[in-house]
Amino acid sequence: MNQYDVVVVGTGPGGYVSAIRAAQLGLSVATVEDDRPGGVCLNWGCIPTKALLRNAEIVQLFEKAETFGITVQGMKADYAAAVQRSRSVADRMAKGVEFLFRKNKITLFPGTGSLKGKNVVEVRGKDGPTTLEAGRAVILATGSEPKSLSGVAIDEKTVISSNGAVRNETKPKSIVVIGAGAVGVEFADVYRSYGVEVTLLEALPRIVPIEDEEVSTQLTRSLSRRGITIKTGVKVSSVKPLAGGVVVETDGGRFEAQQVLMAVGRAARTKGVGLEALGVAMERGFVKVSPTMETSVKGVYAIGDMAGVPLLAHKAMAEGVVAAEAIAGKSPRPVDYGNVPSCTYCRPQVASIGLTEAKAKEGGREVAVGKFPFTANGKAVALGETEGFVKVIADKKTGEILGVHIIGPEATEIIHEFAVGRTLEATVDEIMHTIHAHPTLSEAALEATLAALGHAIHI
Amino acid sequence: MAVTKVVMPKLSEQMESGKVIKWLKKEGDRVQSGDILAEVETDKADVEMEAFGAGVLRKILVSAGSTVPVGSLIGVIAEANDDINSVVGQAGGGAPAAEGGAKPASEAKAPSDAAAPSGAKPDMADRPAAVPPQPRSEDPAARKPAPSKGPEAPGSQRVQEVVAQQPRTLQTLPSGDGGRVKASPLARKIAAQSGVDLKLIQGSGPGGRIVRRDVEAASTAPAAAAAAAPVLRPVTPSVTGPEYEDVALSPMRAAIAKRMPLSKAPVPHFYVTSEVAMDRGWELREELNGLEGQPKISVNDLIIRACALTLLSHPGVNASFQGDRIRVFHRVHMGIAVALDEGLTTPVLRDVHAKPLAQIAVEARDLAERARQRKLRAPELSGATFSISNLGMFDVRDFSAIINPPEGAILAVGSVRRVPVVTDDGLGVGRRMALTLSCDHRVMDGAMGAKFLQDVKRLIEEPLRLLV
Repeated sequence: MNQYDVVVVGTGPGGYVSAIRAAQLGLSVATVEDDRPGGVCLNWGCIPTKALLRNAEIVQLFEKAETFGITVQGMKADYAAAVQRSRSVADRMAKGVEFLFRKNKITLFPGTGSLKGKNVVEVRGKDGPTTLEAGRAVILATGSEPKSLSGVAIDEKTVISSNGAVRNETKPKSIVVIGAGAVGVEFADVYRSYGVEVTLLEALPRIVPIEDEEVSTQLTRSLSRRGITIKTGVKVSSVKPLAGGVVVETDGGRFEAQQVLMAVGRAARTKGVGLEALGVAMERGFVKVSPTMETSVKGVYAIGDMAGVPLLAHKAMAEGVVAAEAIAGKSPRPVDYGNVPSCTYCRPQVASIGLTEAKAKEGGREVAVGKFPFTANGKAVALGETEGFVKVIADKKTGEILGVHIIGPEATEIIHEFAVGRTLEATVDEIMHTIHAHPTLSEAALEATLAALGHAIHI
Repeated sequence: MAVTKVVMPKLSEQMESGKVIKWLKKEGDRVQSGDILAEVETDKADVEMEAFGAGVLRKILVSAGSTVPVGSLIGVIAEANDDINSVVGQAGGGAPAAEGGAKPASEAKAPSDAAAPSGAKPDMADRPAAVPPQPRSEDPAARKPAPSKGPEAPGSQRVQEVVAQQPRTLQTLPSGDGGRVKASPLARKIAAQSGVDLKLIQGSGPGGRIVRRDVEAASTAPAAAAAAAPVLRPVTPSVTGPEYEDVALSPMRAAIAKRMPLSKAPVPHFYVTSEVAMDRGWELREELNGLEGQPKISVNDLIIRACALTLLSHPGVNASFQGDRIRVFHRVHMGIAVALDEGLTTPVLRDVHAKPLAQIAVEARDLAERARQRKLRAPELSGATFSISNLGMFDVRDFSAIINPPEGAILAVGSVRRVPVVTDDGLGVGRRMALTLSCDHRVMDGAMGAKFLQDVKRLIEEPLRLLV
């Protein structure tokens, strides 16, 4: 029997971060992985899609080159090459995780891990089963997998999930994307950039439904302008094969395409982990955890997608740190779930933190809203990227920054000014008194804050 | 030449370890005797630690936030050219290491080491050390010829081990960093709008920073008097949140957890309960509180006064078991249990037998308020000869308290209730209050406790006696 202080099952962003943090704190750590280190994030999710989206962006820039006085002749965008590049980026990042494991003396056991007791993990790998014993704790970080609609099987050929979309080197002529959350919108962007006819379906009344309503409106306009067909408030009743493709029946019409991308969300991977036998408490399909990420079974921790919403890599990483530190006997600050940035990397990018305007007003609180469009931002105009805006929602009385919503160039980078500000409990006054370099896109953050205070300068 | 060791002071009888909240001087700062070096958190209160030697604070060995046992070396004061290596070196082996891997700040960071004015003389002679100077034989190589300073013979290096004897309250002294309060901008705004004084709040953020939740908690916390009328807030039962959480023991909770079994198990408790008619006491109190310019008197103040007077005539209850003898006190120092969010503390009202009711009311209120702010001085936390614990504000009929050793007894006070009582003509409504005395059987017997309680009851039922 192999003994370690901590055994981590799953090496996605939650698992590998918790393993490294535990090792940093002097604990001996084993990790178990049935795929490649890095999990969905590095191999099949965040990172490879960002590589594809970069390709999509470059294609779009070429299409716009004329407006910069640059004429391009004979441009060819090879989709297979884009996927290959994306794969090599993912490979590189996965190798990075292997390097970090070696550096921190973390042992990796390839295979499927499951609990055989509260401190015993069985690994079924190629070379037969191995048993690992955890002296201090087991951290479960088995992640999530794409969901489908009931009665619709994902074959990764005609009905694909993000797993297939990120691997397939051939693009369809046309595709129906079901679900307009981050995954659906990002792939819609990639496919459209490569000339695919894209129909984006959303059951809720607007795309990117968790974002502020004004952001959804702006993004709908931007994506429609690029030729993406958007239907919201439609419920899919069936997805059936058709000669040379599929047909999607909805209460808002019938859509035919060569492929369907199922982007209706992700479900926690909790089967086969051994949770039931140990009596680990569950809640709405996720493992129930304490503020230090411990499950109902002492010494068994769960982090990341399997431990609840939001299903985001950076939330998993933060939870991984909390779990490792708690196991090492520290008293970590629990994850602040109200302050997790949410980012969508389509073009224009979408980023937000805190409450939407509607949510902020729900409690009957008086709010001040400031909005600043990138059309009035010098850097954005110079870049030729003027779509979108920054919107700041503040408490009228205290100036507390309740929520920030950005759509536009580098939105996913600009948001962190407000993430730091909210962590430090800065108010709109502190943002106002912070000198923002000129010319930068971040000036739009300052101006939106000033707008909330009623005195934006540049508009 | 003198090297002054700064050690974690023992600020109360029970204190075993203390946490350095923050250093008010940094390495390289010149300090005079009496300067406040640091703030220390004990199991009872936050207190300031004074320097008893003058010189340069050469070394800080325990960083803010770390907890060390009493007596551990936490810093060194010496002249800029003194060799402190032997003293510091000894800390590693001799003094227990600080929890959480306290990192001694680099000595290179002390900029004034070389530039320190050499004219400043240590004024050791003015202030005797708490512990007699310990002559130490030093490595001869470490000795340097020094000009004669003060009473010491040249060449004899004197190492003084000094502890802070007189911790002063945080409230009455300007803090070393100019009174700056660490608070988030949002916390400051909410505090300004809700009239909360940030100086009175303990921050829960990183490094004790006051954050929004601290101010909100302070502004919604019931005032001392409001505790009598608890507000029932509707709580939405949650089935979605975490099932439980493990809360680390605060120093106070750890002290209570450690101390109470030391009483309940070895001290043979017995209990005597009596019911007191509060009708006249209640009326008197209302009458007194109607007088302009008089301090508000609480029921507890009446009981404190009654016990203080009664203890004088029942010295056997005002006594402590001392192994082979019983110590009988001639003065009454009353411990008053004060409930805090994180536990309880028992500040001591001294010489209460000699104080009139109004003075008791003022002093008891002051002690309770400062206890809630954790701003009590160490002497106010020890030396009680008898204690009172009152849960009346929680609508408790009666209860039994655990004796706080080495005291011999504690009185548990229930709430004043309106109950049906039998009068000469039948049934009436009266105010009644239960008193339960917990007694150490090694010190007294049942009858002694009962007689004491009988006299307390009589005094409260004939409350004018409390005024004379």
